[in-house]
Amino acid sequence: MNYINSYCHISNSAIKINGTISNSYEAMPIDEVIKAIYLSLDLKYSKFHKMDQLSKIAFLGIELMKQANPEISKYGENDIALLFSNSKSSAATDIKFQESYANGGIPSPSLFVYTLPNILIGEIAIRNKWYGENMFTVSNLFDAKYYAEYANILIKKSAEAVLGGWINVNEDKIEAFFFFVTKKDLKQLNLPLNTETLDKIYKGV
Amino acid sequence: MITYIGSENIISPLGESATENFERVRINETGISLSKGIGVGKEDLYLSKIKSIPENNKFNVLLAKCLDSIISDSSANLINLKETIVIVSTTKADIQENLDTPIQHSIEKLKKDYNLQNTPLVISNACISGVLAMNTAHNYIQANIYKHAFVIGADVISDFVLFGFQSLYAVSNEPCQPFDKERKGITLGEGAAGVLISSDSSAFKKGPLEFVEGTSSNDANHISGPSRTGEGLYRSIQKTLELANIPSADIDFISAHGTGTLFNDEMESIAFERLNMNNIPLNSLKGYFGHTLGAAGLIETAISMQSIRNNTLVQSLGFQNEGTSGGINILTENLNKEVNTILKTASGFGGCNASAIIREI
Repeated sequence: MNYINSYCHISNSAIKINGTISNSYEAMPIDEVIKAIYLSLDLKYSKFHKMDQLSKIAFLGIELMKQANPEISKYGENDIALLFSNSKSSAATDIKFQESYANGGIPSPSLFVYTLPNILIGEIAIRNKWYGENMFTVSNLFDAKYYAEYANILIKKSAEAVLGGWINVNEDKIEAFFFFVTKKDLKQLNLPLNTETLDKIYKGV
Repeated sequence: MITYIGSENIISPLGESATENFERVRINETGISLSKGIGVGKEDLYLSKIKSIPENNKFNVLLAKCLDSIISDSSANLINLKETIVIVSTTKADIQENLDTPIQHSIEKLKKDYNLQNTPLVISNACISGVLAMNTAHNYIQANIYKHAFVIGADVISDFVLFGFQSLYAVSNEPCQPFDKERKGITLGEGAAGVLISSDSSAFKKGPLEFVEGTSSNDANHISGPSRTGEGLYRSIQKTLELANIPSADIDFISAHGTGTLFNDEMESIAFERLNMNNIPLNSLKGYFGHTLGAAGLIETAISMQSIRNNTLVQSLGFQNEGTSGGINILTENLNKEVNTILKTASGFGGCNASAIIREI
């Protein structure tokens, strides 16, 4: 049996760690939320500033998870599998890239490299020197069954732990959820990884 | 428990079945040709483009053709079963037609048209998507979650992708020359391919092969440039061999990624050398199909499966002179030999790498 050891929600108006609000504010636009979290973490990571919104939020979500659960940083470089999904792939950046060359403009290489959703996995891997398994899938809705089944598969096969994430940026709305799964109930949250439990904590009920 | 793989198919400019494609590749025919005035500056560029299927709705047509082919090559009606999953591999789906909601419509259509019990799983993990999709099917079968997986991959050529690669100066002005000293970049291609992966050897009309193992690994180095040490590819192949419990000496052939860019091919050569796999015959099939992104891993696996079935390894088209610092054994002509066990690899943006081993039963 594997366990969810910590989880995190990011929206336009709050950050919640393990279901409890750690920071709430008047609903802000995406870039303001990103800026506020980046400053609160006191990061000095120059690569951050060139990322698109999707990668920035994924990156910050994992930083918040590491802060809330320092155990994450103790795993070996091959140990953590990264399992991410969303509903619209890289559509927000795709639209910007398309605009860069429409009407005879010059296509922007710095936008083009972010027109693949798995780039955010790459950004997290680079930051943390994590060489483990990667998987990005696209589904209409948060699919707790898929995450629970596949995280269990990866841990049974070769990973020691799984970091899962669901990140959508739609117009000016953020919906992001991250969770960390290990073989032991390190944090005593008593959350065995299965579809029902994962769905429940994702929905915050 | 053995995972079986078979019923492979390919849709490309070279044909609409795996055997037709293999026969054309065997005589070293390419799907690449010059397209007039298509570049971002209206320049002529080489593409591997399917001209027999209309542009409108092409992505959905390719997915359906792949599924139909697997259905007709499987022994029973498997597609509507509760224990069957369809796994779709793609990078940009129908982006030319659906910029803001890519993939979703296509998946809903598949589910409805084929009366699927489970929503298809869409893997979009850059150029390793196809290999990752097969690995995922294998993992599901080993975990007893599904018994059968219809794995299909497709990508179509669009201004979006072509202009994007041009903006990175990654497109060759000649047909691509993977691993060659004079290589100048990729040639973009389009196409689709599919396989049936199953726990049941009788699911296939024609004898299946064994899907032994597959894994992925990140370079943890750069989002758009490969690692100088081939780190992720090295680690993924090492992990796959280890889990498969197969020594590298047992690999008869490597179907490499070989895009034709300076840095990618160099990186691969270093990873293979670090693994002491320098002497294993290797090819890149990009000289036949171009780079078909989400379809590439599946097209190249299907051709490699045909190589096992026909005991024929095909020449790495476009390669003439050694041009990588890692020594590798690139096929400069077709080779008839017994082929039992093959390694398929792929690497992509985001620093991702994947590998898989398939063998004769």
